Amino acid sequence: MKKKKVKKKIIDNVNNRQQTHQPLCIREMEFPIKSTVDKYQLLPAFLKVRGLVKQHIDSFNYFINCEIKKIIHATGNEKVTSDVDPNFYLKYLDIFVGEPCVEQDYIYEPITPHQCRLRDMTYAAPISVDVEYTRGREIVVRRGKEGKQEGALVIGRMPLMLRSCRCVLSGKNEAQLAKAGECPLDPGGYFVVKGTEKVILIQEQLSKNRIIIDTDSSGNVAASVTSSTHERKSKTNIIVKHERIFLRHNTFSDDVPIVVVLKAMGMESDQEIVQMVGRDPKYAGILAPSLQECSALGIHTQQQALEYLGVKKLLSCLYTGLLGVLQVDEARDILATVVLAHVPVHQFEFRPKCIYIAVIIRKMLEAMLNTDAVDDKDYVGNKRLELAGQLLALLFEDLFKRMNGELKKSVDMTLAKANRSTQFDIAKCIRPDFLSNGLEHAISSGNWTVKRFKMDRKGVTQVVSRLSFIAALGHMTRITSQFEKTRKVSGPRALQPSQWGMLCPCDTPEGEACGLVKNLALMTHVTTDEEEGPLIALCTTLGVEDLSMLSGEELHSQHTYIVFFNGIILGVHRRPQRFAETLRKLRRAGKIGEFVSIHVNPGQHSIHIASDGGRVCRPLVIADNGVSRIKEHHMKELKDGFRTFDDFLREGLVEYLDVNEENNSLIALYEADATPATTHIEIEPFTILGVCAGLIPYPHHNQSPRNTYQCAMGKQAMGNIAYNQLHRIDTLLYLLVYPQRPLLTTKTIELVGYDKLGAGQNATVAVMSYSGYDIEDAIVMNKASLDRGFGRCIVLKKSVTALKKYNNRTADRIVAPDMNTSAKGGVQVAPRHQIQDRDGIAAVGEMIRPGDIYINKQSPINTRDNVMNPQAMPDSAYKRTPQTYKGPPGECAVVDKVLLTSNDENHFIVKCLIRHTRRPEVGDKFSSRHGQKGVCGTIVQQEDFPFSERGICPDLIMNPHGFPSRMTVGKMIELLGGKAGVMSGRFHYGSAFGEPSGHADTVSAISETLVNHGFSYSGKDFIYSGITGYPLQAYIFMGPVYYQKLKHMVLDKMHARARGPRVVLTRQPTEGRSREGGLRLGEMERDCLIAYGASMMILERLMISSDQFQIQVCTKCGMMGYYNHKLKIALCTYCKSGENMATMKLPYACKLLFQELQSMNILPRLQLSEA
Amino acid sequence: MENVSYQRFPTVRIRDMKDDVMKFELRDTDASVANALRRIMIAEVPTLAIDLVEIETNSSVLNDEFLAHRLGLIPLISDRAMEMRLSRDCDACDGDGRCDFCSIEFHLNVKCTSEQTLDVTSHDLQSSDPDVVPVDSAGRQADVSGFDPPEHRGILIVKLRKGQELKLRAIARKGIGKDHAKWSPAATVTFQYEPDIHINETLMESLSLDEKREWVESSPTKVFELDPISQQVVVVDPEAYTYDEEVIKKAEAMGKPGLVEIYSKEDSFIFTVESTGAIKASQMFINAIEILKSKLDAVRLAFDTEEADDQFGELGAHMRGGGM
Repeated sequence: MKKKKVKKKIIDNVNNRQQTHQPLCIREMEFPIKSTVDKYQLLPAFLKVRGLVKQHIDSFNYFINCEIKKIIHATGNEKVTSDVDPNFYLKYLDIFVGEPCVEQDYIYEPITPHQCRLRDMTYAAPISVDVEYTRGREIVVRRGKEGKQEGALVIGRMPLMLRSCRCVLSGKNEAQLAKAGECPLDPGGYFVVKGTEKVILIQEQLSKNRIIIDTDSSGNVAASVTSSTHERKSKTNIIVKHERIFLRHNTFSDDVPIVVVLKAMGMESDQEIVQMVGRDPKYAGILAPSLQECSALGIHTQQQALEYLGVKKLLSCLYTGLLGVLQVDEARDILATVVLAHVPVHQFEFRPKCIYIAVIIRKMLEAMLNTDAVDDKDYVGNKRLELAGQLLALLFEDLFKRMNGELKKSVDMTLAKANRSTQFDIAKCIRPDFLSNGLEHAISSGNWTVKRFKMDRKGVTQVVSRLSFIAALGHMTRITSQFEKTRKVSGPRALQPSQWGMLCPCDTPEGEACGLVKNLALMTHVTTDEEEGPLIALCTTLGVEDLSMLSGEELHSQHTYIVFFNGIILGVHRRPQRFAETLRKLRRAGKIGEFVSIHVNPGQHSIHIASDGGRVCRPLVIADNGVSRIKEHHMKELKDGFRTFDDFLREGLVEYLDVNEENNSLIALYEADATPATTHIEIEPFTILGVCAGLIPYPHHNQSPRNTYQCAMGKQAMGNIAYNQLHRIDTLLYLLVYPQRPLLTTKTIELVGYDKLGAGQNATVAVMSYSGYDIEDAIVMNKASLDRGFGRCIVLKKSVTALKKYNNRTADRIVAPDMNTSAKGGVQVAPRHQIQDRDGIAAVGEMIRPGDIYINKQSPINTRDNVMNPQAMPDSAYKRTPQTYKGPPGECAVVDKVLLTSNDENHFIVKCLIRHTRRPEVGDKFSSRHGQKGVCGTIVQQEDFPFSERGICPDLIMNPHGFPSRMTVGKMIELLGGKAGVMSGRFHYGSAFGEPSGHADTVSAISETLVNHGFSYSGKDFIYSGITGYPLQAYIFMGPVYYQKLKHMVLDKMHARARGPRVVLTRQPTEGRSREGGLRLGEMERDCLIAYGASMMILERLMISSDQFQIQVCTKCGMMGYYNHKLKIALCTYCKSGENMATMKLPYACKLLFQELQSMNILPRLQLSEA
Repeated sequence: MENVSYQRFPTVRIRDMKDDVMKFELRDTDASVANALRRIMIAEVPTLAIDLVEIETNSSVLNDEFLAHRLGLIPLISDRAMEMRLSRDCDACDGDGRCDFCSIEFHLNVKCTSEQTLDVTSHDLQSSDPDVVPVDSAGRQADVSGFDPPEHRGILIVKLRKGQELKLRAIARKGIGKDHAKWSPAATVTFQYEPDIHINETLMESLSLDEKREWVESSPTKVFELDPISQQVVVVDPEAYTYDEEVIKKAEAMGKPGLVEIYSKEDSFIFTVESTGAIKASQMFINAIEILKSKLDAVRLAFDTEEADDQFGELGAHMRGGGM
């Protein structure tokens, strides 16, 4: 709410300036100058400590160090007991995730992520547990020493996140990373599973354990609470039906009146209920029908209410089968543990839960009276982001529980046996495969199934997109939503004002996922869980009055605020502002966690304290009375390296605010805009954009969808992928031969390292019409530029061959190239085998053409039956299964790399990397950084290109029609700034909203530079035609613009066919480019031909050129016969004669249909007439 | 009208001539002639460039095609290019590029043995012909200024780390810029029309000194100057004028249209020719004229046969090809 005011103020300022242009300058001088400290330096400092994917790594670290320990110590997980032997137990004492290593021949060897990528292995570390268990009579304790695995019990392997605290890469410097084969600019935050890089996408969800007031489809107010504890997840709804309030929960077969529930919880008096909700007559009136209903049902006591609920509960509930448990007890148990499970109930003390329900009802009644009180589900403060750590914790807990279940089963089985030969040792029963495979499979497939919570999510993980550096980086910051994509509601897709500064407003895909897939902004941090106990204790010492001592009257009195802590009501406080201020002071002093948020909601008379994980927050500079706490000397110390970002945090100069707390603050964009009411000042305005949008120069001058298009296209641009790109063997890798750093940069580019791993080239662009091959966004390219390496790219394709081992102990093998004996008797290498070395694998550096065999593999014919001597089988026992290269015909590629290694399962694998260098051709796709894509329309000789009297000749020509409708003014400024940059030898900046803070060069400054170097201020040049030598009629806007080559190239797409393969079944041409298929004359095209009356054309297209077939038809019986080639006559098998036979042509598919019909006892007869 | 001669006698006046840059005026001719010369210099003056690379060992970071492309773009001293044969027209060899008439062989054999990065430059290319060597403009300048230390000269091909090796054989051939930009001897060839500037003195005198100064400064390039003594506006460098019309617009804005009139002389051109170093800039121009003449000869000869092709009409001209 308050943010709007700031914006308003800025607008007012602008208006002021416009109205009183001259006098303002003088007036400004009269005021004391507020020192505007350049706070930009905070950003690199922030990214140094936090990094761009810190949220992933933090979350994973938290899981590995804390959460995993909580899981094994949770009740129900900690002990494995036996039903057979009451003396038996296994107790988990501690758990520890070790260093990444691999077991090979019973030896543990450390591994690096890059080895895993190359060898198709999983980058994982053993999970070891300290246990205490009984073996016979004795109690055994197995404990690891100082975090070492020795002695401890290994229960599985945990895939490790790169750059997490257990990763070998953490804390390494650039040289050490290079030694490990890793790129220092790679952010980490993903997993390597079976050689593929997998990222667990950030999942967006509605907050857990919070009351959300909403309206249902019929417009009635409904409240929902999704409770989530370690033991249980459940959703409780409180709804309004026929003006009465009900509780809806899936443990009850029907909606139950809320008053009955309250009575069942021990709040028997109607007066108390009304008091709890609020004595105000306006509330009591709405509540009356509900109370009446309860008394109409004849329920007055707790016992009666519980009996009522006992009937209503679903049969398939917890204790079915356990006889002797009364229905009343069951109902009470459900109320205690299932309904609103997150509100703790100790020994059936229901009072906190009663108050909780009362507060919900009060909120609902408020919402009924005032629709503004309805919560916004799309509000970012009501959302939580689920990160890798949380998701893995869910999965791990489930697997751990199941493993313990299995363990118990096997214990029971063994102990049930009467006489055992050896002492039973449970340590030998543990199968580490179960956990390892479960985790590995979930990450590699992306299917998250936790049956306990009825969770079944697909597509949680994705393969890290390595198309360009930015694509990989953008992938780490992506957020997907759990909403189904098909629904056509605009709410969740719309840009929320509360996303400001947290989520990038530009970066979202187009189409069905539009607005549902989002990206984090540059400075966003996602919190992890924080210890609750100390915070609760602190709140109580700061004067929160405990709930159990309060009556309803006190709860809702005018001056008290209810204190919520992570969704649970702690109590009330009489001086809310002071309480909030004290807590904030403690946070700034570092006494409580920096991510704890305190939000005072005066409208609802409540204070919300949150320390749960998954909230988005961002750092802001604290201001006192509108004066920033950061002074010049602080920044100087930062620059000199005496200060880090953490020091700023510790000293209370900067703090993290989450979306809710932002609503309690007044944030000024710049210090100059601050008023005495201002509480915070933004660090830098361009940080509202994310990584992908940060690459765009002057995005604030563009039409907004153009920035969105560029965010999608930047991910398809070719360039450098990583410093280790030439050591990688990826399925498909696109590299640019001469990538450049953009002449017009932004601060974001420098921060993320795009200037080191660029994906594009600075092309001199002339905005003019040329040749007519430039319509519809096509561009005309200069042949000489292409000759000199513009847009040249390398495509690297991988092909893997595994030498399989079969069950009968036979295996595939690779043999020397085939030899042909020539006519003269000499021996030659067979034609398709020439590129192979003597070992039967293609030699590195050989040119490879389509059809060449690059691995001369053979497989055993018999892979089932036992073979006597699998090592020395005769050659005849093998069949050829060579690996043949399939590429575009006529193109010649080169074998770049061959890797021989073995994977996790000890299979021998051969990876071949095949390289193809391409120069741009007509039809290749290019784009600038402003969502202006276009294909190359034609390539023109340099001498035909226009030139200026300085001799400057553009690299490409772009049609001016691209500008008016797209309104990409940013591109024009980029051109201007690029030109000035070239002339002055200084990289110009175009950061978003950067003009006031000096992070973007202004057009007037650029024009001045241009004029100083003898150019027109407008960036237009006087140009001569290269064809005639005459000057052109107009001045041409010309200068350098950063152009990206996109991955879509004609070579991969072009396709035509005259003759070719056909489908076996129908004999019609195959479909699709990969199968050299035909181009379909479809239904609509056929309709056109029919309408036109081109019957012969239809016949030719649909039959003659497709699947024409000649059959023999018996004119007598109308069935198909056959042609006997021996007797040279046609015969009918039904009539057993060759008379009355006729020949006709029909589509083969038609003949097939007839035969298929015959096979199901339908006889189509052909009645022929004379043609 | 039949026998009217359009013959003109163009003149060339050389203003400035260095090995790699030349500036001259071309007068009394048409834009078509000037442009033809420009186009020929860019696209049709032959030079030598590496065209075929056989790589024996390459353990550098750059791949084979990458290296071949870089080698191709190294300009070679091509004074011999005019009399050499195009490899496809060579009678001595079958165009496989192994004869002195059409090809020059280069060898490169470098291995890095020290801990320091080794720069492989065009100096490491060993030529079979002492006349055809990579251009070394930096080296030439270094002789004069002593600016660059000798080991940093030459055109960088690739950098090697310890243990990396590069061994290859390259063949340079004659070619023209039309086929590939590596055969273009021209770094820059451009011309401009000579501007003809007339200041209306009477109007100019009506301006105050400040107005004059303002007007003079309105031109982004230094074309006019205010004489400090006579306080008159004089044209100091007409060629600096970039036809930006800023001064004309300024004059109009000052309410003095017609203060200055600027035309371009339709028949005189100021050329700037800059060579890659493969051949001297002056030689490049001479060669261009030579080629233009031979092309004109071809047209003249074709004229005789044109009658025979008359039956094809316009198509005939197309069939013969517009160019050569």
